[in-house]
Amino acid sequence: MTAVAAPAASVTPAPAPGRALTALAVRQVRRGALTVTGICAGMSALVVSMYESQALDPAALAALARNPAIRTLFGEPVALGDPGGFAVWRTGVVLSVLLAVWSFLAATRITRGEEDAGRWGLLLSGRAALADAVRGHLGVVTVVPLVAGAATAAAMIAAGADVAGSVLHGTGLAAVGLFFVAAGGLAAQLFGDRSAANGAAAAVLVLGLLARMVGDGVPALSWVRWLSPFGLVALTRPFDTGRGLPLAVLVFAAAVLLALAVRLAARRDVGGSIVPAAGGRPARTALLGSVPAFAVRRTLRPLAGWAAGVGAYFLLIGLVARSMADFLAANPQFTAMAAQAGFTLGTVEGYAATLFALLAVPVGVFVAGRVGALAADEAARRLTLPLAAPVTRTRLLAADVAAATGAALVLVSVAGAAMWAGSALVGAGLGLGDALAGTWNVVPVVLLCLGAAVLALGWAPRAVAAAGAVPAVGGFLWLVVADSVGAPAWVGDVSPFAHLAAVPVTGPDWPAAAVMTGLAAAGVAAGLAGYRRRDLTT
Amino acid sequence: MGVAALCTENLSKRYGRLLALDDLTLDVAPGEVFGFLGPNGAGKSTTIRLLLGLARPTSGRAWVFGGDAADVAAAHRRLAYVPADVALWPRMTGAEVLDLLGRIGPGVDTVYRDELVERFALDLAKPAGTYSTGNRQKVALVAAFATRAPLLVLDEPTSGLDPLMELEFRRAVAAARDNGQTVFLSSHQLAEVEAVCDRVGILSAGRLVEVASVAQLRRLHRTEVAATFTGAPPDLTGVPGVDGLHSNGAAAVRFTLNGPPAAALRALADAGVATIAVREPSLEEIFLAYYGQDAR
Ligand SMILES: Nc1ncnc2c1ncn2[C@@H]1O[C@H](COP(=O)(O)OP(=O)(O)OP(=O)(O)O)[C@@H](O)[C@H]1O
Ligand SMILES: [Mg+2]
Repeated sequence: MTAVAAPAASVTPAPAPGRALTALAVRQVRRGALTVTGICAGMSALVVSMYESQALDPAALAALARNPAIRTLFGEPVALGDPGGFAVWRTGVVLSVLLAVWSFLAATRITRGEEDAGRWGLLLSGRAALADAVRGHLGVVTVVPLVAGAATAAAMIAAGADVAGSVLHGTGLAAVGLFFVAAGGLAAQLFGDRSAANGAAAAVLVLGLLARMVGDGVPALSWVRWLSPFGLVALTRPFDTGRGLPLAVLVFAAAVLLALAVRLAARRDVGGSIVPAAGGRPARTALLGSVPAFAVRRTLRPLAGWAAGVGAYFLLIGLVARSMADFLAANPQFTAMAAQAGFTLGTVEGYAATLFALLAVPVGVFVAGRVGALAADEAARRLTLPLAAPVTRTRLLAADVAAATGAALVLVSVAGAAMWAGSALVGAGLGLGDALAGTWNVVPVVLLCLGAAVLALGWAPRAVAAAGAVPAVGGFLWLVVADSVGAPAWVGDVSPFAHLAAVPVTGPDWPAAAVMTGLAAAGVAAGLAGYRRRDLTT
Repeated sequence: MGVAALCTENLSKRYGRLLALDDLTLDVAPGEVFGFLGPNGAGKSTTIRLLLGLARPTSGRAWVFGGDAADVAAAHRRLAYVPADVALWPRMTGAEVLDLLGRIGPGVDTVYRDELVERFALDLAKPAGTYSTGNRQKVALVAAFATRAPLLVLDEPTSGLDPLMELEFRRAVAAARDNGQTVFLSSHQLAEVEAVCDRVGILSAGRLVEVASVAQLRRLHRTEVAATFTGAPPDLTGVPGVDGLHSNGAAAVRFTLNGPPAAALRALADAGVATIAVREPSLEEIFLAYYGQDAR
């Protein structure tokens, strides 16, 4: 009976609610924060330190800088003769997209996600108001891009890059991250569930990327870059003229969005949203008749969003195909340089093959996300009722895996068709069959993502989405670094991207495809075994 | 009697160092309404998760109508379940949820389902994300009762219901019993258990400490008796079962009675009783006694 022993003085003074909120938020983001910071700083420093001066004459550089296709794809090449400038061109877009994606996902996860899960009801019954909680949590997430940017700048300086340029590039990365924390935080106030908030933030990201590509590629529309976070960062031209104004605009926009998010949080209820939740509506009973049908139903909406984004991107890529191929044919030294950087360009097919490989990244992330959604449904106990019906776990998982696979095939087909349509519009002469062959060529890498995600679902259900993204995102970054630093071939070969043949230039690498598919099947089998054995969260 | 609706044998579940369920052996007969009681954390929901194959037992086995409970494709064709906290896909309306559960479930009596929707006053047009806790629970209850499955497993199904809905719930359970369905009901609402259950099992810190009918449980416990007499009260000291004797004034006594009452009643009758009041302990008092034990 220890409880009655000390009736007085047993209430410890509670810390300020702000401090407790901060601690809670820090716990939820620290692991991801370390990962993105490590990747940003590590990749940038590696590319700087392994840089070998490319013998490019100024006239050729000028031609490269003018070429719309190069600019559309990789951003405007600025200061390639400088180790820092080369690192920015080679890794800047990739890292800013990575940081942006992490930033909005983290922002929505620890705000709307926690609120969705009902965990904020308890939190906010204490002394903290909703706006305080939103401000505190977003405040913690905003620190992460700042740290990642600072670490990147410091790492580049340590690797020997110019100080001013490194600082500007690091600041640019931080500003993009900050903007997407704000965008995610704002979306989390506007929409009543996390997937809608993520969808809105992802739409901003894709539109921002497309605007940057158009603005970089079409001189008449270069002002569009002022409307895109990625465009603003490109306008800063680190290691070159180094402008600060675009960054000021971006940081200001982020601050406005953050302030707006907190203001809106103060105007809504816990669990509510600014955009009112749909009221009553007639039942839509299509695709509810069986477990596989229901899996398809849950996949359709995300598929539509991803198909729009991926389709728009590849349409644009198709539209610049001609100009790109012409340029490369006229400037063979770039073809050689691109080959050194891991690209086989030179013809429309070669250019298309290079870009099709990129497709594995979004589609791989998409399938990882689908398995992640199943894990999230389980964690939220939504699977309890379906699993209390005569539905085995195997059947449930098989239905979701099949739906995700089918959706991935749709996505790669959409990408192929969009690329074909774009190139047909400019008369670049890429055949539809070739385009589809090229996009279907990435399917083994996508399956690897699926295998990794299912493996995690069986044995580490909290890490599903992250594990599933490793073959695509990790493999891609790995190969970029390996190529950029001239690592021995076996290092690059660890990445699945090293085993993608340049379809449609050549035929598919069937043995490699078989190995990847086999590994994926093994992952699915092992994951299923774990999923059948373990306790479900119910 | 045929095969048990629900049967467990030495069923145990360990979470790390915590033995959440310790060697549970239990039979629930077909057609029986079985109440499953116990304080928070006693292991009731754990037992139900094991029965449904949602968690794997550390040791022991369970059967549903004679079939292995782990074979969910077969076992779940004969049962329906209402979880303690009902989570639904927020963008699906109530009608869509019911449609889904009806079509992947063990079957559905749509006429009865519509009747239940009416009785539980459920607005099916709204998305589940806008439902209150009680409304989510009602969706799961309607889905479960509408299956007419031979076994209903209900985990605190009324924790979010208002008193009117609670009454509808009792009606639905009574209808299920009349249909010959078996009900396995975990609950903290003792009045509800008292009203609907034939038999109860009491779980405490993972161990089954008692299985008895509600009437039997009462009998195992003390009854309070107060009597007044026309003449002098009898001397009840030493009468078997009589305890805590008090005299209230000249012609009244109060005492508690344990076990068979025959001897005490005879003694009272011989003395010329004017009035007698026998008060059985409420289920609450009985359970407080049990629940208190494991507070130790
Ligand atoms: N997944 C789990 N991991 C670890 N411990 C668990 C897990 N699930 C339950 N427990 C523990 O097992 C014990 C029994 O939990 P259970 O949910 O079965 O209790 P209960 O009887 O249903 O309680 P209540 O009346 O509060 O619903 C508790 O101590 C609980 O903390
Ligand atoms: Mg429980």
